[in-house]
Amino acid sequence: MTRTIRLAARQALLEQRSFWRSAEYALFTFAFPLMILLLIGAANAGSHLPGTDIKRTTVFVPGILAFGVIVAAYVNLGSKVAVLRHDGVLKRIRTTPLPSGAYIGGLLVSTVATVIFITAATGMIGWLAFGAAPRPGELLALAAGLVLGTVCFATLGLAISSVITSAESAGPVAYASFLPIAIISGVFDPTFSGLPDWLSRLVDMFPVKALAEVLQNAYAVRPFPPWNLANLGLWTAAGAVFAVWRFRWHAT
Amino acid sequence: MTGDAAVHVVGLRMSFGATEVLHGIDFDVHHGEVFCLLGPNGAGKTTTLEILEGFTAQTDGHVSVLGMNPAAQPARLRERAGMVLQECGFPRQARVAELIDLWRSYYPNPRPLGDLLEVVELTEVRNAQVRKLSGGQRRRLDFALALAGDPDLVFLDEPTTGFDPEARRRCWAAIENLRRLGKTVLLTTHYLDEAEQLADRIAILRAGHIELTGTTHEVAARAGLDTRISFTTPSALRCGRVPLPGGIELSVRGPESVCHTGNAAMTLRMLLDWARQNSLGDLEGLAVTAPRLEDTYLQLTRDRP
Repeated sequence: MTRTIRLAARQALLEQRSFWRSAEYALFTFAFPLMILLLIGAANAGSHLPGTDIKRTTVFVPGILAFGVIVAAYVNLGSKVAVLRHDGVLKRIRTTPLPSGAYIGGLLVSTVATVIFITAATGMIGWLAFGAAPRPGELLALAAGLVLGTVCFATLGLAISSVITSAESAGPVAYASFLPIAIISGVFDPTFSGLPDWLSRLVDMFPVKALAEVLQNAYAVRPFPPWNLANLGLWTAAGAVFAVWRFRWHAT
Repeated sequence: MTGDAAVHVVGLRMSFGATEVLHGIDFDVHHGEVFCLLGPNGAGKTTTLEILEGFTAQTDGHVSVLGMNPAAQPARLRERAGMVLQECGFPRQARVAELIDLWRSYYPNPRPLGDLLEVVELTEVRNAQVRKLSGGQRRRLDFALALAGDPDLVFLDEPTTGFDPEARRRCWAAIENLRRLGKTVLLTTHYLDEAEQLADRIAILRAGHIELTGTTHEVAARAGLDTRISFTTPSALRCGRVPLPGGIELSVRGPESVCHTGNAAMTLRMLLDWARQNSLGDLEGLAVTAPRLEDTYLQLTRDRP
């Protein structure tokens, strides 16, 4: 057991080093959410949600926290594993006595590190630039929401990696499969509306809005449907089943 | 039962669905030798290797690798057997030494890093990112990773396919280094010269059958091939001023005359007598060639569809 943990830690270290060496991964994972945070945040600064005294940015910043978690855990891990599989790195790992748990564990630990970095950066910039901070008693709820979101989207990332068939399409497929949902879910604009009823109901079923609302609730008193937690739990379970069922060490 | 063999294969059969691709093959690889599984594409070389490496379980037959059943004990086997597969990538942003070092951490008794870099001649590029290496350098990095755990046995699946001559030579040198380190090597190839150059013993695998096994010379001899004697056709013979030697099947092919014989010494004596009688001197360009692997291989390929 200790050997597995030690090996996973070493693996995670190399993954993190590689991540920061790779302009594309680091840039997309960090620059994209932070740029949106600053641009849209600046455009909304000073205005309030209609009929409330809640500043728009107070709800927008946790939305970007959710966005960062999804990019780091889902997009990044999913496309990373797809590329590793396509390049035959996973196949090579199988030629060594490294326990598969240590390898996958290392990838997950590295993903968690990336989530922590991006969450810290988003939270700090949101606080410094727009004065958005979590409600005093809700820090624990915020942390719990971030953990749950990371687990859920990392699992879904592993699942989507098995659907991606080429290294070139890995990033685009991962982004395209969640960005439209994120927009319709109001991650960038909490007052986003005007959709046909059936579409907004459909989008509500995805875990994107659930995570955003969990995190938003830690920043401001918001409507908080209790099924948000159940939603994230169910998607985690479904993602895990699919990921295990379809996981392959080699490209087909 | 397995005796001293590093790899022991008896009656190995493998089917994918209704198609049988290995029809019961047998061979042994002794400790410390370089053994080559030679055969055309689709002969079943990679399938055989995948069974020995513990990736696939065989349909029937007995397989033992370093005294272990690969399908049952893959993790234990991989601590003592290094594997170089066909077309296996590296993490894109890793550096050479960093990657080898990571691989060393997977094994209980790794080889020293400096040692590994030296064996595969990658010391100079130790800090380069893997994606910047040439094809030949990447293959040698494959070797270094396969050697990281200081294995007793190394599997090499078509190690030089698609390489230019210079890259092949350096790859061969790396395999020679493995032999010097006392490793047992099981390699597959469809290149005859590669098998001839590297292997102590060879098994020719064709369409799921082992056709022949033995040293290069044994394989050639057992195929019943004759020694080839050739010399430059003397001008007197070419314009018909000299009779053909009796008792020898000599064919005059323009500038070169060739005969094949099962008794090289006798044929040679007869040829030289004939040359002296007809004042042809010592027969310019006289060459006696033992049957080569290539001849055996080509004959096998020609004989059976």
